[in-house]
Amino acid sequence: MKTVGARQVWAVQEITAALARRLAGIPSVWVEAEIQNLRQRGGQVYFTLRDSHQIDASMRAALFERLAPRPADGGLVYAYGRVEFWAERAQLSLRIERMEPAGEGAMLAQIEAIKATLAAEGLLSDARKRALPLVPRRIGLITSAAGAARHDVLNNIWARFPADVVLADVPVQGVTAARAIVRALDALNAIPEVEVIIIARGGGPLEDLMAFNDERLCRAVAASRVPVVSAVGHEKDVTVCDLVADRRVSTPTGAAQAVVPDRAALDARLAEAARGLARGLGRTREANAVAIAQRTLGLIAGLRAAEHRSASQVAATGSRLVPAVQRIAGASAHAVPVVHDRLVRATGARHEAAAQRVAASAGLLEALSPSRTVARGYAIVRDPASGRPVVSAAALRGGTELELEMRDGRAQVTVKETHT
Amino acid sequence: MSEADDPTTFEQALAQLDEIVARLEAGDVGLEEAVRLFERGQALLAICRERLARAQQRIEQLTTQGEPGEPDDAGAPF
Repeated sequence: MKTVGARQVWAVQEITAALARRLAGIPSVWVEAEIQNLRQRGGQVYFTLRDSHQIDASMRAALFERLAPRPADGGLVYAYGRVEFWAERAQLSLRIERMEPAGEGAMLAQIEAIKATLAAEGLLSDARKRALPLVPRRIGLITSAAGAARHDVLNNIWARFPADVVLADVPVQGVTAARAIVRALDALNAIPEVEVIIIARGGGPLEDLMAFNDERLCRAVAASRVPVVSAVGHEKDVTVCDLVADRRVSTPTGAAQAVVPDRAALDARLAEAARGLARGLGRTREANAVAIAQRTLGLIAGLRAAEHRSASQVAATGSRLVPAVQRIAGASAHAVPVVHDRLVRATGARHEAAAQRVAASAGLLEALSPSRTVARGYAIVRDPASGRPVVSAAALRGGTELELEMRDGRAQVTVKETHT
Repeated sequence: MSEADDPTTFEQALAQLDEIVARLEAGDVGLEEAVRLFERGQALLAICRERLARAQQRIEQLTTQGEPGEPDDAGAPF
């Protein structure tokens, strides 16, 4: 440097030396670029790394020749190196030490590596896959709140069943996605009512789906307390997340079918079970109807035989028993005429009116379905102490207290005498 | 199955209900047992229906996103 008038004037060599000092100490970096203009000179390979900009680069030929696969002109690479400054010509270049193929090939290789690691630990095994709950108390949904997948999955779920959903809004691509999804899995797993989790994202190019091939994400899915449904990408886009999840689906409809039942079908199934209960009880009562009728008639006969009772008392008690007979006999329409005949004989002409009510009810009862009959109630003769149904007259004695349970209430009765 | 096995999931309640219906429909149980099964079946139906009635199509959004100290996506290489 010299001073000419008011100016400081520098030699080129001083400038380049200053630049060299500035550029020293820059750390090595990974660069993703297309490789171009490959040429070898002496022990070096020279090339250009470019995207929309470009920079010269070089690598020792001995290193370059060992690369497998060896990059060719036009190939996409990850190159690792540092900035090199040639002071004599003030030229910048990258001195490359390592180089790997990039792009789809690289991503596929990365996916295969993660898949192999997880498979070796058994995390992709079908045996690990858990059944999904039929009716989850709450559903965890991990997706982007702004994405179409959120709307599609929710609408399909709610078209089937009015499920309660906890939504975790996450980015579904980019470098922060995997970590955010892992956090969302943890947060949803901490909510006891969440019994299944859906991870949803629409389709996209491989690089957009790479978050779902992230090893930490896949491990978090495997470690989830509740089953995880992977609804990521289209049918053709298989991610490692799909493989490690308990269920993989490729459409919002598939996701909905996996996590909730069809409400209408379930209601129909419960209604059928209710009818089955009624039918089953009716069938049992069919077999027991005669025994029940005999026991009831035995009580009436007992009342009638009690000579110290006034006729009006017998009539009143007999009338109270009639509804019980109706209901007991109701399950077995063909038993009604038998009951009717015996009731007439047992109660005599004074109770003819009551007996006619029983007979009239026979036609009505036949018109009723078993379920309606049960809905109307059934009468059971119980031991009031134990609450157990009484199935045999043999155990009854004069004075035994019994309870008749009917649709709308109970009647307490006393055995006067038994005939077995 | 016995009454002691209170169903904890909808599937369990439904499975117990199916079993009871099958036993009742087989028609070879005594009256006392039939009444007991019927009452148990009614209770299970009530459990199932209550569970279905709880679903209200509610949606809640978690608010635990965006931890501080996230690595910055953008930035200079050096």
